[in-house]
Amino acid sequence: MKLPLLNLSFPSLQTTTQALEEVLAIGSEWRRQKLPLYLFLALCLNLVIAPVVYATSNNEFSRSQAWALGLLGLGTAAISVYLFFVMFIPEKF
Amino acid sequence: MFVVWLGTIVTLLVTINPNLFGTVQADVGQQRLLNGIITFILFFTVLFANFAEAVAEGRGKAQADALRSTRSDTIARKMLPDQSIQEVNSTELRRGDQVKVIAGDMIPADGEVIQGIGSVDESAITGESAPVLKQPGTDIASSVTGGTRLLSDELIVRISADPGQGFIDRMISLVEGAERTKTPNEIALTVLLAVLTQVFLIVVATTPSLSGYIADFLDNVLGSAAGNSLRAGTSIAILISLLVALIPTTIGGLLSAIGIAGMDRVAQFNVIATSGRAVEACGDVNTLVLDKTGTITLGNRLADEFIPVNGHDLQEVANAGWIASVFDETPEGRSIVRLAEKLGAKFDLNGQPAEGIEFSARTRMSGTDLDGKEYRKGAVDAIKGFVRSRGGQVPLTLDQAYERVSRLGGTPLAVCQGPDIYGVIYLKDMVKPGLRERFDQLRRMGVKTIMLTGDNRITASVIAKEAGVDDFIAEATPEDKIDVIRSEQAQGKLVAMTGDGTNDAPALAQANVGLAMNSGTQAAKEAANMVDLDSDPTKLIDLVTIGKQLLITRGALTTFSVANDIAKYFAIIPTIFAAAGIGALNIMGLKSAQSAIVSALIYNALIIPVLIPLALRGVQFRPLTADQLLQRNILIYGLGGIIAPFIAIKAIDLILPLS
Repeated sequence: MKLPLLNLSFPSLQTTTQALEEVLAIGSEWRRQKLPLYLFLALCLNLVIAPVVYATSNNEFSRSQAWALGLLGLGTAAISVYLFFVMFIPEKF
Repeated sequence: MFVVWLGTIVTLLVTINPNLFGTVQADVGQQRLLNGIITFILFFTVLFANFAEAVAEGRGKAQADALRSTRSDTIARKMLPDQSIQEVNSTELRRGDQVKVIAGDMIPADGEVIQGIGSVDESAITGESAPVLKQPGTDIASSVTGGTRLLSDELIVRISADPGQGFIDRMISLVEGAERTKTPNEIALTVLLAVLTQVFLIVVATTPSLSGYIADFLDNVLGSAAGNSLRAGTSIAILISLLVALIPTTIGGLLSAIGIAGMDRVAQFNVIATSGRAVEACGDVNTLVLDKTGTITLGNRLADEFIPVNGHDLQEVANAGWIASVFDETPEGRSIVRLAEKLGAKFDLNGQPAEGIEFSARTRMSGTDLDGKEYRKGAVDAIKGFVRSRGGQVPLTLDQAYERVSRLGGTPLAVCQGPDIYGVIYLKDMVKPGLRERFDQLRRMGVKTIMLTGDNRITASVIAKEAGVDDFIAEATPEDKIDVIRSEQAQGKLVAMTGDGTNDAPALAQANVGLAMNSGTQAAKEAANMVDLDSDPTKLIDLVTIGKQLLITRGALTTFSVANDIAKYFAIIPTIFAAAGIGALNIMGLKSAQSAIVSALIYNALIIPVLIPLALRGVQFRPLTADQLLQRNILIYGLGGIIAPFIAIKAIDLILPLS
C-alpha cells in the first residue's frame, strides 16, 4: 500500500521576514503618528465603558447608542485633558 | 478652533444617523436637517478661521517671494589659503570663507568687507537707488548683504553666514511663518481661551443631566410630556452649537492672523525682525534710548549765524567765512558759503593765487591761502593757537561769543585771517522736523525718551529741550548706553535702542528691542533683534507705534469676541430652556430654538471674515494713555460687541425660513 504524500505548506522565510518588517514599520510609525494609537486605545477602553453606560441607562439606549455615547464621553474627557495641558504648558501649543 | 473642528465631525455623524447618541424625540427628518445645517455652519466657521490665517500668510508669502527674488545662486570667487581663486556656487560658501567680489558681481552672501573700497547697489533690499560706499574697518559701511551688487572697484569679503542663515533667508522664514513661535501675549491669550473653553465644556457636558432633572420634574408637576421640549433642546448637535457659541471663537480664529499681520507691517517698513516676540516687545517698550546725531538731529551741522568780534562787522565776518570755506566740500563748509552769500559775501578769485587747506584732526581747522593771506576757520581753541602763533591777540568777546553759541546748543567755529580774529560761526545741528510731536505722542503713551550724546552738557541740554526728549546724557561713552539700559531694566522697564557700531553690540543685545542699522557692522546686526534695511534710526519710533497697534488690535478684537458671546447666550439659552420658565429672557423675540441656534451660529461664522480686514490692517492707532485706550476699547469694541450681534442675530432670524 502506498501512503499518500503529505502536502503541508509552511510560510516561506521571505514571507515571515516581510511580515516582521511590516510589524516593525507599524511599530515605528506609531512612535511618530500618535493619533491612530490613541484612537485604537480609546476604542479598546470603550469596550469597558460602553457596557457600563448600557447597564446604567436602564434600557433607554440601544447597545450601539451606548457604545457611541461611551466614545463621546471619552472624547470629551480627552479634550478636557488636552485643555489642561494647554493651560499649564501653553508654549508647546 | 480645534474644538469647533471636533464638533463639526460629531454633528456630521448625527446628521448621518440622528439616533446615534439616543433616540430623538422630534421627527427624524427634521432633526437630520437641523443637524446638517449646524454641521454646514460649523464647517464654514473652521474654514473662515483658516481663511483668515491663509490671507495673512499669503501676504507674507508675497513679501517672501519679493525678498526671494533678490536672492539667487551666483558663482562666487572663493579665496583659497594660498590666495588663489576658485569659482564655487554661492550655496557652497560657509561662514569664515573669503571671497573676492569684482565690480558688476552680485555679492554671494552676507559678510564683512575686510579689504578694498567699493560702492554697492543695495536697492534690491532697501529700495534706495543711491549706491552705498563699503569699506573695511569702519563701524559703519563694513557689512554687505547677499543679493546686492557691487558697482565699482573690488572687495574682499569674509562670509558671516552659512547658506540659508543670512538676513534675507531669516526674513523669508519669518514672513512665511516657518519660524513663527507664539509671543508671550499670545501665550497668555491662549491660556485664557483654554480656560474659557474648559469652563464651558464642563458646563455643556453637565447640561443634559441638569435638563433631564428639570424635565423629569416638569413631567411630574405638569404632566407626562411637559419636559419633552427640554429633552429635545439638549440633543448632541444643539449642545455642540451651544459650546461653539459660548467659547470666544472669533478671537480664536483671528489670533494668528493678527500676529502674522504685525510681522508683515514691520516688513513693509523695510525692517527685518528676528522674531514676532521682538515686534510685540516694541508695543510694550517703556523707554527709548536714542543717539543725538542722525537720530534726533539731521546729523549734518549747518551754519546759522555769523557773530562778529574784535571790532569787525557782519559783512567782514561773512566775507572771511566765505573765503575760508570756499574749498571746503563738507556739508558744514557748503552751508557756511551759502549763509555768507545770503549776506551778500562774494569774492572774485579770478587771477588770484588761492589754495585750499584741508581739515585735519591734528590742526582741527581748515581754510584758504589767498594771495599770501591765511584765512582759517575751525575749533575755537585751535584758532586761538593759530592767531597767537601769528603774533595776534585773542579778544575777550571771542569767549563770550563761544559761550553764547554753546548755550544755544550749537557748535562754535572761529574765523580768522592771519593774526586777526574776525568772529564766530554758529553751526547748528537741526533737530529733525516733527520729532517734538512724535516725542509728545510717545510721552502720552507712557514711553520715556532718553538722548545720548558725546556733546558737552550745555549743547545736549539745548538739543534735548528743542527736541522735547524727557532726559539726556551728555559726554556719553558707548559704555554709558549699556549702563542706562541696565538701570532702566532694573526698574522693570522694557528698553528699545538703535545702534550701528561694534561698540553698540552689547547694548543692542541687552536692550529688549535692539534695532541695528543695515549700514552697521555685522556684530551690531547679530546682536540686535531687528535690522533696518534703510538705516534710518528714527524708524524705532515707528516700530514702537506698530508694536502698540498690534497689541491694541489684539486687545480690541478679544474684547469684541468676548462681548459678542453675551448676545449669543441670550439667543440660545432662553430658547432651549424656555420650558423651564426662562423664555422671558428671549429679549430678541427669536422665532424658535432652531432658528435662534442657527442664527447665532451663522453670525458666529460670518463675523470672522468680516473682521479679517481689521485684523490685517490693525485698529487705527491713537497716541493715548493706557487708561484712555482701555476706556476707548471698552466703549467701541465692548459695547459695540454687545449691541452689534443682537441686531445681526435678530436680522438673520427674520430672514431664515425656519420656524
